[in-house]
Amino acid sequence: MNQPTLFELAGFGPDGWGHALLAGAWMTILVAIAGYAVGACIGTLGAWGKIAGNRFARATADAYTTVLRGIPDLLVIYLFYFGGSAVVTAIGKMFGTEGFLGFPGFLAGSLAVGVTSGAQFTEVLRGGFKAVHPGEIEAAIACGMPRWLRLRRIIAPLTLRHALPGLGNVWQVVLKESALVSITGVAELLRQAQVGAGSTGLPFDFYLIAGVIYLMISTLSSLIIQQAERHLSRGVRKR
Amino acid sequence: MTVMPIALSVRDMHKSFGPVEVLKGISLDALEGDVVSILGSSGSGKSTFLRCINLLETPDSGEVTVAGETIRMQRTARGIHRPSDGRQVDRIRSQLGMVFQSFNLWSHKTVLENVIEAPVYVQGRSRAECVEEAEALLAKVGIADKRDFYPAHLSGGQQQRAAIARALAMHPKVMLFDEPTSALDPELVGEVLRVMRALAEEGRTMLVVTHEMGFARDVSSRVIFLHKGVVEEDGKPQDVFAGSRSERFRQFISQ
Amino acid sequence: MDWQFLEETFVSLVAAIPLTIELAVTSICLGAILALLLALARLSGVTVLDWFARLYVFVFRGTPLLVQIFLIYYGLGQFPVIRHSILWPFLRDPYWCAVLALTLNTAAYASEIIRGGLLSVPHGQVEAARACGMHRLMMFRRIILPLAIRQALPGYGNEMISMVKATSLASIITLMEVTGVAAKIISETYRAIEVFVVSGAIYLAINFVLTRLIQFAEYRLSPHLRPPVPVMRDTAAAAAPVGDPQ
Repeated sequence: MNQPTLFELAGFGPDGWGHALLAGAWMTILVAIAGYAVGACIGTLGAWGKIAGNRFARATADAYTTVLRGIPDLLVIYLFYFGGSAVVTAIGKMFGTEGFLGFPGFLAGSLAVGVTSGAQFTEVLRGGFKAVHPGEIEAAIACGMPRWLRLRRIIAPLTLRHALPGLGNVWQVVLKESALVSITGVAELLRQAQVGAGSTGLPFDFYLIAGVIYLMISTLSSLIIQQAERHLSRGVRKR
Repeated sequence: MTVMPIALSVRDMHKSFGPVEVLKGISLDALEGDVVSILGSSGSGKSTFLRCINLLETPDSGEVTVAGETIRMQRTARGIHRPSDGRQVDRIRSQLGMVFQSFNLWSHKTVLENVIEAPVYVQGRSRAECVEEAEALLAKVGIADKRDFYPAHLSGGQQQRAAIARALAMHPKVMLFDEPTSALDPELVGEVLRVMRALAEEGRTMLVVTHEMGFARDVSSRVIFLHKGVVEEDGKPQDVFAGSRSERFRQFISQ
Repeated sequence: MDWQFLEETFVSLVAAIPLTIELAVTSICLGAILALLLALARLSGVTVLDWFARLYVFVFRGTPLLVQIFLIYYGLGQFPVIRHSILWPFLRDPYWCAVLALTLNTAAYASEIIRGGLLSVPHGQVEAARACGMHRLMMFRRIILPLAIRQALPGYGNEMISMVKATSLASIITLMEVTGVAAKIISETYRAIEVFVVSGAIYLAINFVLTRLIQFAEYRLSPHLRPPVPVMRDTAAAAAPVGDPQ
């Protein structure tokens, strides 16, 4: 039997799984973006809680980051996927449907990734805020800028500039974490590779191709992040 | 001689940090056009006093009145003294132009953007008008060619002059200077003092916390010496420098 | 609150802790050795070694750990030459595949941490060692490495905590460590929240102990960063009076 080469497998020809893999890569990016967005929201709340919140908010944010720092992401995915399914099934029973209702894998995956990355976001944003020169914030207060305007025009832009490397890091982590979402059945890249491996009996080839595609996405992301860093730091470097 | 209206009035200001009382009942009336130099050794409370005026620090008691408007304060259930109307505080702050020791220009904005930021976004004036005025102000302080530069690319003296332009752009009733030249290399101090002198000669009301004795003696209309939170000396520079009754002040200026 | 269920779950999960710890400790230790070699390769000045190490770190940090695990566990079995080699009993076994994948993965991250530590050793102290006549190997062993370890310890501590969490991925290739047992219980009972709480608590406990150990190590390794212990006046005088012949 003539085994197709790696390139043929990845390609779009008769033996090629290119379409499936491309679709998988696209789904990976979607899951990552969704998880990143959820994490950004949670992280902003968490950072706000740690920086400007009252005792209760601070304690909650501290508990959140401590707990999620120590728990494997896989467990969180199981929680959202199976837990979510249990909740949906229970609700379904209330309305009379029988049997098991599955919680959508994409939703479970994005929420889980969001919750775990939210803890990292909190720390990155908090670190970014601490790096802002307090004098610049004072100057804004002294001008009579009300709180909301201060946040929008001065604090947020400066915090984001300092936090950008860390935020880029979190993206890379989220990208890799999206591979775990494959266990919920979402047809992202790793799942597609699994399907291909099972179908052709060539697991090494497929996982190798998947690895290469992950590297490509990761490298492309790095380049974009570097560009953003350069753009946002245009005032910082002394000539 | 016409009596000038009172531009800024402080009544019996007290401030403690924990167990340490830094301001022990300071009162001050600054008339329009007064250039008040506030002198004192470190720990005397002079910077704290200035920062309490625009409520960057909140005094424990006392009253601040700017151009006839008193900042409304209240005492909370736990006895904490704080302003009762945040919007009034913001409004009054926008009438007080503060110049900081470490300049505090916004690093993500160009010099021009720094100068127009408050007039456009806090005072709501038209951007075109503010840009035009900003360019005139930058020319006045001598850095018109730096309008599109970022603060990091300017020398200390240039940054401080930009900060002064930023404060002027808000059309302040009173200008507050918190040790404006202390963070500058000696050769850059002169350019900033020159600008401040020009402002004084224009008739601006200025409160200047400073170590520059020359400025205090030659440019200000009034000198106040603070020692351990109390006003030890208050008078015209020629009277105070020549024949002060305060032993501590004479020691201070002889250093 | 179904205490009986929680208790049963707890007992099952605790039984799986040894496997989690075994996986973590083995891969951390083996990974550390590999990481040291990689860091040295990057700093060796030999271009080929440097680029190999760079490529290694790039690949293993840029791809998900799960992909690496699948490549080793499922992927290697594709090749007849491996299936017939003496390594096959190991490479077929999920435990050794997991250890191998975890080791290779942590080595990439750890090598950057170690490299940072080695680079942070103050140049002056290295020069002083050379001036004493220490040859390179001794200098490395007695001066550079100890200082590098002290510097790298906080970052390495973080990596070790990541490793403990990473062992959970072994559950996907059928290993019954804590997450594997938890997944089994969840899929049988659908009581995800309770199982999550118990297994999460176990991981937190493990990481808490680990953090304490690291803090202890940091404390023991940095007497030079702590304030000096005052010497007792009379004991010092009694111990070595000046000029007293012994």
